[in-house]
Amino acid sequence: MPETKPSLQLELQELLLVGAGAVPGALLRWQLALYLGDQNLLVNVFGAALLGLLAGLPAAPRRQLLLGIGFCGSLTTFSSWMLAAMKHLGSGDWAAALGLIGLTLGLGLGAAALGFSLGRRLKPPEPPQSRM
Amino acid sequence: MAGSASEALLVGLGAILGAWLRLKVVNHFQPMVPKKHWGTFLVNVVACFGLGLVLALNETCTASAGIALLMGVGFFGSLSTFSTFAVELLNELRAGQALTALVLAVASIGAGLLASALGYGLGTHA
Repeated sequence: MPETKPSLQLELQELLLVGAGAVPGALLRWQLALYLGDQNLLVNVFGAALLGLLAGLPAAPRRQLLLGIGFCGSLTTFSSWMLAAMKHLGSGDWAAALGLIGLTLGLGLGAAALGFSLGRRLKPPEPPQSRM
Repeated sequence: MAGSASEALLVGLGAILGAWLRLKVVNHFQPMVPKKHWGTFLVNVVACFGLGLVLALNETCTASAGIALLMGVGFFGSLSTFSTFAVELLNELRAGQALTALVLAVASIGAGLLASALGYGLGTHA
């Protein structure tokens, strides 16, 4: 397939949709970190469940940009999770580091799987085939 | 809501840029069928390094709290993503590619830890 350069209008629409999702996602993550003291397990597991659900629904590019890439992508964070684990390792607390990594990964995968199967169930039934 | 409106503005501005850059990088890797999830890998590892650097600079008072909000919480927080990482692992597992899922998980976490330690170390000794 030849690669076509997307128009400026499409680029702007993409930026707008992703940004409109990213701002509330990042603000929610920031607020929860202020209230819950920098732990990101909750946002990461919730975001994984929501993105799993979106992945189970029929494809909708604009919804994916707004809610998937924008909101879920910015609500969840890989870097803060790794930084927290690295700090545990730095202070010699291997158990805390492995616990944080294992718990987040396990709960995140489980949440994504749960969201996905729910999304599959929410999928509207196929329209009946029209008879010729 | 804790924090001031200008703090929220810094987080939001960083988040737009981080999420947009993540989209561009992931889209770049998307057509490469056997390795499309390496775009997510790349943004995550880069964000680990950047967040480590920003946090260390903030702790040593080289970077202001505003920079930490804009670049740390906003930009690098939104550049990296856990949800896409989890769903991509799930996709590999559902496709029966347990080995690919294992490699992706181990590589992402290993490189993420290393990159955050490098960024943090660099910022501490800067």
